[in-house]
Amino acid sequence: MAVTVIEVRNLVKKYGSFAAVDGISFEVMKGEVFSLLGPNGAGKTTTVEIMECLRTLTSGEVRILGMDVNKETLKIKGRIGVLPQDFNAFDFLTVKENIEYFGGMFNKSLPADDLIRAVDLGEKRDVWFKKLSGGLKQRVGVAISMVNDPDIIFLDEPTTGLDPKARRDVWAVIQELKAKGKTVILTTHYMEEAEVLSDRVGIIDHGRFLALGTPHDIIEQFGTGSRCIISNCDDACAQSLKQQWPGIERKGGDIVIKLENKGSLPEIIYTLDRSGGNYEQIQVTRPTLEDVFLRLTGKKLHEEEAPPPTEKKGLFGRKKKEKGVA
Amino acid sequence: MANRVLVAIKGEVKTFWRNKSTIFWTVAFPVLLILLFGAIFSGGGTGRVDIHVQDLSDTPASQAFIVSLVDTGSVNIINVSKGTDIDQYIKDNSPYAVLIIPANFSEAFPGPGQSPTQLQLRTDPTNSGSSIAYSIVAGVASQYNLYFAGGTNWITVGMSDITQTGFSYIDFFIPGVIALTSMTTTIFWMVSVMTRYRTNGIFKKLTTTPITRYEWLTAQILWQLVVVFMSVAVIMLVGILVFDMHLTLTPLAILVIIMSSALFSSMGMIIARFIHDEETASTAANAITFPMMFLSGIFFNLAFMPEWLQAIAKVLPLYYVGEALRNTMVYDNQVAAVNNALVVLVLAVVFFVAGVLLSKWKDE
Ligand SMILES: Nc1ncnc2c1ncn2[C@@H]1O[C@H](COP(=O)(O)OP(=O)(O)OP(=O)(O)O)[C@@H](O)[C@H]1O
Ligand SMILES: [Mg+2]
Repeated sequence: MAVTVIEVRNLVKKYGSFAAVDGISFEVMKGEVFSLLGPNGAGKTTTVEIMECLRTLTSGEVRILGMDVNKETLKIKGRIGVLPQDFNAFDFLTVKENIEYFGGMFNKSLPADDLIRAVDLGEKRDVWFKKLSGGLKQRVGVAISMVNDPDIIFLDEPTTGLDPKARRDVWAVIQELKAKGKTVILTTHYMEEAEVLSDRVGIIDHGRFLALGTPHDIIEQFGTGSRCIISNCDDACAQSLKQQWPGIERKGGDIVIKLENKGSLPEIIYTLDRSGGNYEQIQVTRPTLEDVFLRLTGKKLHEEEAPPPTEKKGLFGRKKKEKGVA
Repeated sequence: MANRVLVAIKGEVKTFWRNKSTIFWTVAFPVLLILLFGAIFSGGGTGRVDIHVQDLSDTPASQAFIVSLVDTGSVNIINVSKGTDIDQYIKDNSPYAVLIIPANFSEAFPGPGQSPTQLQLRTDPTNSGSSIAYSIVAGVASQYNLYFAGGTNWITVGMSDITQTGFSYIDFFIPGVIALTSMTTTIFWMVSVMTRYRTNGIFKKLTTTPITRYEWLTAQILWQLVVVFMSVAVIMLVGILVFDMHLTLTPLAILVIIMSSALFSSMGMIIARFIHDEETASTAANAITFPMMFLSGIFFNLAFMPEWLQAIAKVLPLYYVGEALRNTMVYDNQVAAVNNALVVLVLAVVFFVAGVLLSKWKDE
């Protein structure tokens, strides 16, 4: 049976008259990976830091593991793990010493060596934090967030600023957490990341949810449907296509057709064949959260794109997953 | 809670030993200060003024006068031969006091009607020794006048050193250096650690754990006590080995050092509370400590300073720390030491409470 571990009701956080979080509500079930996806300044950090008892809320109600964030701050802190945005640890302590330091802040803590193994930092165990690369630092941060064996782990932008390889390594660690049945709250700019890692996503902007649900449901609900792109179409092709689908778009030499149903694609190919014209290739794209976001807000989530995790080299040396292209 | 404080201290201890600059400030800086000032001020060490004397009379009477000067115990006489061109001599040797005994000195005594003999004392007024030289020469001359007038000394002055048994400058200076170190170490540590942890996100991470800011501040202050006492040990060691100082680290002195460390740690906390940028905050700490360093009688005895400077010193916390330490460690004046220590205690409590109440981790 699904157990609710986080309940957020009509959460509002104001800075002066500006509402950084403007009335959001959601629930997270035990064992779920829930992502808050949104651009800079959307209110992601504000939302999670209220859940982490680091900021006070203006109005609404937030319960973590059944406890009110306004009242049982210390108890909640003992049962959650947090990787803050722009995480940093002690420069002159080693990886192991840092983990032990933060472990010492809790009443119970897991052995540092187990955590080091879990984030695959064995080689760097005795290296000063200062000397680690950004990706390794983030992994130390994830390890530290697990040090008190928390029920819920909050990861605020764990992959921002990392290169593609480091980013995938962090993903693998998060997938491992999920496999262990931990509840994870993730914030990210990267829709790829949200799609790959999360069970459910809340798309947030200006402190409000624009969409909330599984990535699949959101795309179904807000997406534009799949599209067929015929590149470098000559006029003959374009003419025949236009007769059949008056609403097509023409972008330079390319033609874009919305696929209404499964039967559309064979029909397009048939039409192209009959027209006797030339074209370079036919491509079918599925809408992504990115497209949904663009549609909902008219904004891009971010400038650069997270690389698709096509060839995933397992961080733990055993996971190998191929993700098919739709 | 005790466990969290210990873990936090342990973290700072490790960081301390791995970070070279902190060791410099704790150990090398006070040692350099002592060696430097010790060398400057206890080099000659005799406490006498040098008077260069050109005796143009060169008679038993003039020689007797010179002996009288020597007998004061406060002068070194350097003889300048009769034929020397005194102006050239002054140029060459830059003395600060030159006494010229005129050729008619021996004939000066017979009865009234004759013009008085004039000793000529040429001094360099920029040198503090010159006025002492004048007092001594004038004093001896008065004695002679009194004697010739057939008078008797009705008032005499018995003088002995205030510090009783020959304390040196270094004995005066070392408690000051201890006071100074307890201030600079703690204030700069607090400012730098708090601004740095705030900027680099360590405070943010700490707030996600159950440690409270009271526990964290306690850990920092305890750790600073350790550092300060490390400095004190090094300072005392250098004082004993190099300068043969006469100090005792009394229980009261230890208490004063503890209170002073808490006082200045709190001052650092307050600075860091209001100035978030590390550079600016440390500039502010400098702006506070630098004048205090020079106006609190750490390097020089305030008794020689103008009144208004002494008045300023009396509102500076460091003055009371220095005085308390000096009174208990050097002069064995425990009553004065306790009085000074009470002032330090009150200041420490006030600053500590203010510091703890004002400090916060979250920047909401
Ligand atoms: N302490 C504060 N005082 C005033 N405004 C704040 C404060 N903290 C956040 N804000 C504002 O609230 C809004 C939401 O900020 P928040 O940090 O939650 O965004 P975010 O989604 O985490 O962004 P990013 O992706 O850049 O981390 C922003 O407009 C921000 O400027
Ligand atoms: Mg953020």
